[in-house]
Amino acid sequence: MIQWLMNIDRRIIFVFVFLGVALPLLANVFLPIRPTRDVIAVYDQLEKVAQDEGVVLLSFSYGASTEPEMQPMARAILRHCFSRNIKVVAVCLWPEAPGLAQQVLEEIGDEFGKTYGVDYAFLGFKPGNFAVVLNMGQDFRDAFPQDNWGTPLEDLALMRDVRTLRDFDFVFDLAAGDSIEFWWIPYGQEKYGFPFAGGCTAVMAPDLFPFLQSGQMVGLLGGLAGAAEYETLVGRQDKATAGMSAQSMAHLIIVIFIIFGNMAFFLSRRR
Amino acid sequence: MTRDRYVFLGLVLLFAAVNGVLLANGVLAADWEGLGVIVAAGLTLALYSFLYKDNPLFKVAENIFVGVATAYIFSQNWYQTIYGEVFVRLSALGGEDSASGDWWLLAPTVLGLLMLTRFSRRFGWLSRFSFAFFVGLGAGLTIPRTISSFILAQIEPMLQPLSWSVEGFNLLVILVGVVAVLVYFFFSVEHTGVVGKVSRVGIWFLMISFGASFGYTIMARLSLLIGRVTFLLDDWLGIM
Repeated sequence: MIQWLMNIDRRIIFVFVFLGVALPLLANVFLPIRPTRDVIAVYDQLEKVAQDEGVVLLSFSYGASTEPEMQPMARAILRHCFSRNIKVVAVCLWPEAPGLAQQVLEEIGDEFGKTYGVDYAFLGFKPGNFAVVLNMGQDFRDAFPQDNWGTPLEDLALMRDVRTLRDFDFVFDLAAGDSIEFWWIPYGQEKYGFPFAGGCTAVMAPDLFPFLQSGQMVGLLGGLAGAAEYETLVGRQDKATAGMSAQSMAHLIIVIFIIFGNMAFFLSRRR
Repeated sequence: MTRDRYVFLGLVLLFAAVNGVLLANGVLAADWEGLGVIVAAGLTLALYSFLYKDNPLFKVAENIFVGVATAYIFSQNWYQTIYGEVFVRLSALGGEDSASGDWWLLAPTVLGLLMLTRFSRRFGWLSRFSFAFFVGLGAGLTIPRTISSFILAQIEPMLQPLSWSVEGFNLLVILVGVVAVLVYFFFSVEHTGVVGKVSRVGIWFLMISFGASFGYTIMARLSLLIGRVTFLLDDWLGIM
C-alpha cells in the first residue's frame, strides 16, 4: 500500500483533479467569498473616482493564454465603472490584447447601454512597452493620436480634456506579464504620481506585494480569486465566482495527495 | 494495430459522434461559430491528451497553436508597427497629410535598418551604431527609474517607526525578513556564529516566500484548467 502510494500513477491524480474541477462546476456550487483588503482598496478607489466624476485608464496587457483569469477581472472592473458612470479609456500594451479588450468593452458597454466615444473609448494597441507609458505621460495624443478605428481623439467627447497621464483619476493595468512591475510603476506611477492599481495572474501576485507595501500600488487583484472577490463587491456573481468552488475542491485534492505522499514517505523511512 | 491506435481511433470516433449529437440536438449551431467551438474543443482535448501519453494528435495541436500564435503576433506587429507606424507615415512625408514631426521617423527607421546589417559579415559593424544607441537609451532611462522604484521606494516604508499595533508587528516582521535575507546573500563573511543564525532565519523567510509563490502558481494553473473545463462543459457540451 505504501509503495503504491509512493509510486502512484500521476494519471490517477489527473483524473481526480479533473473531477475536482468539473463536478463543482456542474453542481453550480457557490462558496461564500470574503473580499480581501487589497481588492477592497481598488473598489474604494473606483468609488472615489465615481464621486469625482472622473476618467479611468484601463490598460490591457494580457493575451489569450491567460484569458480565464484576466477576462473575468476585466468584466468585473468594467461593470463597476459603467454602473457608477465612470468614463473608461482603454489601451493595449500587448499585441494579443486588442481582440480580448474590444470583446469585453463591447459586451459590458452594451450591457449598461453605454455609448462609444462618450462613455468609453478604445485606443487599440501601441508597441514600445515602457516607451508607450513614458509617451503617454508626456503627451497622450502623441502616443495615441486616434482610436482603434482611426477616429482622431479630438472627435471623442471623453478625450477632450485628456492631455497626459496626470489627467486620469485612476489607472488600472490588467497584466499577464511584467507590465505593472517594469513599465507602469517605474515609468508611469513613480514619475507622474497618479493613483495606480493592477490586476494580475496569480503567478505574479507575490512579486507585486512589495509595491502594495510601499504604496506605489493602491490595490491588487490577484488571479481568479481576486476577480471573484471583486465580483462579490460589485454584486454580480459571474464566471470567477463560479470557478472558486472548483478551485477550492482542486486545492483540497492536491493537499490530500501531498499529505498521503508525505505519510507514505515517512512510513517507508521508518521501515 | 496496437492498443494505443485503437484508443486513438476510438476517441476520434467518440468525438465525432458527440459533435453529431450536439449538432442534431441544436446545442451547437450549424454555422461558423459552431464549427469554431468544435475545432476549439477538439484542439483542447488533443492538447490534454498529452496527460495520457505523447501522441500525434497532441503534436498536431501544439504545432497549430505555435503557428497561429506566431502569425497573429506577426500580423499585429506588422499592421500596428511596421506598416502603420513606418510605411504609411514615411510614404506621406512631404505631402499634405504629413505632420511636421514625421521627418524624425527617418532616424529610428535608419537605426532599425542598420540593426539588420548584423546578418552581413561585411557590413555587420554598422549595427554597432544602433546597438550603442539602444543600450545608451535603455541604461539612461532604466537606471534612475529602477533605483527610484525598486530601491528607494522600497526602503522608505521600512524606515517607518515601529508601534504596538498589527501594522507595527507587520513592519517588524518585514524588517527582520529583509535584514536576514540580505545577510544570507552576503557571502563575503562565513555563515557561522551570529551571522549563521541570522542567515538561517533568512533561509526560513525565503522558503516561506517560495512556498507562497508556488501556491499561487498552482492556483494560476488551476484557474486556466477551470477556464478550459468551463468552455468544454458550457460552450461545447452545453451541460452547465
